[in-house]
Amino acid sequence: MKITLDNKNIEVEEGKTILDICKEKGIEIPTLCVMEGLKPEARCRLCLVEMNGKLETSCSTYPKEGSKIITSSKRIDKHRMINAELLMADHIKAYKKDKKSSDLYKLIEKVGLKRIRFDTIHKYKEDLSESVIRDDNKCINCGKCIRACGEIMAVHAIDFIKRGHLEKVSPYFEHDLHDVACIKCGQCVHACPVGAIYEREHLYEVTKAIKDPKKHVVVQTAPSVRVALGEEFGIDKGTIVTGKMVAALKKLGFDKVFDTDLGADLTIMEEGTEFLKRVSAGGPFPMITTCCPAWIKYMEHFRHDLFPNMSTCKSPHEMLGNLTKSYYSKDKKNTIVVSIMPCTAKKFESTRPELKSDVDYVLTTRELAKLIRSKKIDFKNLKAKDFDHPLGISTGAGVIFGATGGVMEAALRTAYELGTGKTLKKIDFTEIRGTDGIKEGSVKIGSKKIKFAVAHGGANIKKLLENKDKYHFIEMMACPGGCIGGGGQPWPTNKETIKKRMAAIYKADRDLPLRKSHENPAVQKLYKDFLGEPGSEKAHKLLHTYYHERDCF
Amino acid sequence: MQILKPTNLKAIKKAIKIGPKKVLELIKPLTGRGGAGFPTAKKWEFAIKTKEKVRYVICNSDEGEPGTFKDKFIIENNPETLIEGILIAAFTIKAQKAFIYLRGEYEYLKSNLENAIHKINPPIEIEIVVGAGAYVCGDETAIIKSIEGFRGHPYYKPPFPPVEGLFGKPTVINNVETLTNVAQAVLFHDWNSNLRLYSLSGNVTKPGVYELPVGTSLKTLIELGKPKNKVKAVYFGCFGGCMPYKNIELTPKNVCGKNCAIGSFTIIVVDEKQSIPKLAENIAEFYERESCGKCTPCREGTKRILDILRKINNGKGKKDDVETLEDLSKHIHETALCGLGKTATNHVLNACLFFKKEFK
Repeated sequence: MKITLDNKNIEVEEGKTILDICKEKGIEIPTLCVMEGLKPEARCRLCLVEMNGKLETSCSTYPKEGSKIITSSKRIDKHRMINAELLMADHIKAYKKDKKSSDLYKLIEKVGLKRIRFDTIHKYKEDLSESVIRDDNKCINCGKCIRACGEIMAVHAIDFIKRGHLEKVSPYFEHDLHDVACIKCGQCVHACPVGAIYEREHLYEVTKAIKDPKKHVVVQTAPSVRVALGEEFGIDKGTIVTGKMVAALKKLGFDKVFDTDLGADLTIMEEGTEFLKRVSAGGPFPMITTCCPAWIKYMEHFRHDLFPNMSTCKSPHEMLGNLTKSYYSKDKKNTIVVSIMPCTAKKFESTRPELKSDVDYVLTTRELAKLIRSKKIDFKNLKAKDFDHPLGISTGAGVIFGATGGVMEAALRTAYELGTGKTLKKIDFTEIRGTDGIKEGSVKIGSKKIKFAVAHGGANIKKLLENKDKYHFIEMMACPGGCIGGGGQPWPTNKETIKKRMAAIYKADRDLPLRKSHENPAVQKLYKDFLGEPGSEKAHKLLHTYYHERDCF
Repeated sequence: MQILKPTNLKAIKKAIKIGPKKVLELIKPLTGRGGAGFPTAKKWEFAIKTKEKVRYVICNSDEGEPGTFKDKFIIENNPETLIEGILIAAFTIKAQKAFIYLRGEYEYLKSNLENAIHKINPPIEIEIVVGAGAYVCGDETAIIKSIEGFRGHPYYKPPFPPVEGLFGKPTVINNVETLTNVAQAVLFHDWNSNLRLYSLSGNVTKPGVYELPVGTSLKTLIELGKPKNKVKAVYFGCFGGCMPYKNIELTPKNVCGKNCAIGSFTIIVVDEKQSIPKLAENIAEFYERESCGKCTPCREGTKRILDILRKINNGKGKKDDVETLEDLSKHIHETALCGLGKTATNHVLNACLFFKKEFK
């Protein structure tokens, strides 16, 4: 199909929007409401272009044979500017310093906005929850959070209410976020282009604990943090910064730096044993993983019928938290455990009463970066350091927890060897790697053929659950891409960054000498000295949990 | 009045007898009466050409335009002919189900329609969906969203509803007056395609629905309404904009070109005792309230226009306010997503153009 773009005749494929075409040609068009992989809503109307003399939004317009498109003219600039003006008038000017807001400001500058003729309207209300906070004053009604919540996560906790300029994003029935069926995944945080949704910060509490000489502050870091943290400091996407991260944490004053990967290895030992028990007992199948707190909350709200299917294991960082305060430290009162997680739901998880959580504070990857920046640590040039003993040894199996399919792969590596007593020849389960929404495969453990499946992203989870009975073992991760795409990861988290982080995760796995959880010497020692054997009474008391039915209201 | 002539089930019987092709021929002169004036037969043909087997007909009874009440008049007085029109549409495009999207404020007319449906006992289901009182649900795409159970927000066309509409299936959406005319066009040989229902209101002593041909002079129409004082201006509904009173012939062509649109033949008479800025504020209030909130220019712009008009009316206007008003109005007209937004500021533009003195 031939079209004219800015007075140049070009050949384009059919079925592409003007915005897509311009992106390919390197023409920058400002936009705030376009979402990767979803139908355009054309709400913000900043991406105006002229097609055949008429103003159209480029995100939603498909050119036809012979269309004449102009992407820059006085008329276009003027209308883009008025839209920007209208949006900005609503977006309080005081947020200039906010990192994400400033992205909006950059865009506004690009559009050429200089004066705002209208007064700011103060809307009130920040709503409160344990992990995700929304601020209506910053909101520009682009609707991306709603689409992330509904179309990507299939949760539908928030939607627009009211009409006209009173329209705003709200949890249903104008409840607060902690009163509704919000799974705290934080995908809305990533969707928001202006920083109106963010995590509840615990930086103040953590710095206070570090300063207190009486407190012994232990920190642990999740597998997916090490492949993403560098992005915050201008390091290339998909770079593994484990050593620098540990060094930075030590510099910040944490007394010990442990590795959540070890918790992951423990989870695999417990979960693998549980699965083998189910195999010999003949069910109930499928067994579903429980590492993802957002998925747990999803299940508690929407799928009560799955209780018997759920594994009873706590998530890795909770396990490690428990062990820190029982196995490692004798002084429970003065030990503080901080988890660095890619996740906003973990903040909620650590407040669950039934867990009797020993994790005191959860920081997201972004919060850690903020902390490092605020202490003026030159992250890029830090010398790598190692995790501390005794809870700092990890395996490749623990590392791949960070990507979708990783928990399953790690569990299969261990379950196969524990179940058959043989060595697994091919330890890479490539069929469950990658960014496809639902992945599946099968493996023979003894005489039994085990069918397994992996889903990530709420909508895919919902889809997989429709024919769950086909499988014996299912891994669920609420966020697209698994933890590497978690709600607490650096901005921007999109398909491209997720792919790069994923590649880094598998590289880290390949590079480690130990790649199976049961080979971890620290785990072996733990069981020998403290826990007994996987699935023992003590392990159950410390490392397992149960679930609640939750109402949606 | 032609529109009130009952068809007594003869129209649908005739339609079935002569077949869809002949029906399309008979209604060829008919154009949509909702305001846009799109040829009805053409719209139906789009749906017929699709390969989908499931199709729908929607009767748009969400008559929300201020000063327009002709659809109400038909539903009150001749609902059976309307139902027959719906059935003919469904028969012609081979639809399995029809919906009547009734304006929220017209809920009391539901029983009228139900009785008519009951009396006719149609072969396909006709479901009456009552809106929740949103003006924007008069837009085709917003009706579809509303019936599907979502927020009544318009969405971007194409795909146009006759190709991909309700639940993703081809859907023909026609106005009440159009569908009533369909039944009459099929049955009566002397059916006159030139007659329109004029909704006359405002500063007249005899407001109401008048059936007159296209091209009736404004003077004749207003005299029928017997105004008390000297007429200053007329509003063509709210979206049609306004113009100073002049004796013109009321045809779409004559009215268009001055930022006005005759739309659904709504005339609101304004006499010299009225203040145009006050009226503008009143109408702006309406649009500010009824904007669905989806796109930036309409959501934010209508609010800002109202703010400025309020300031002017309170004597706190600034020098460049009128300029800002015009700027914003043009902006909303050019960049809003749906028909409502695009026409929401016509009245301001015209008022600024014709009655600039009053704004100072």
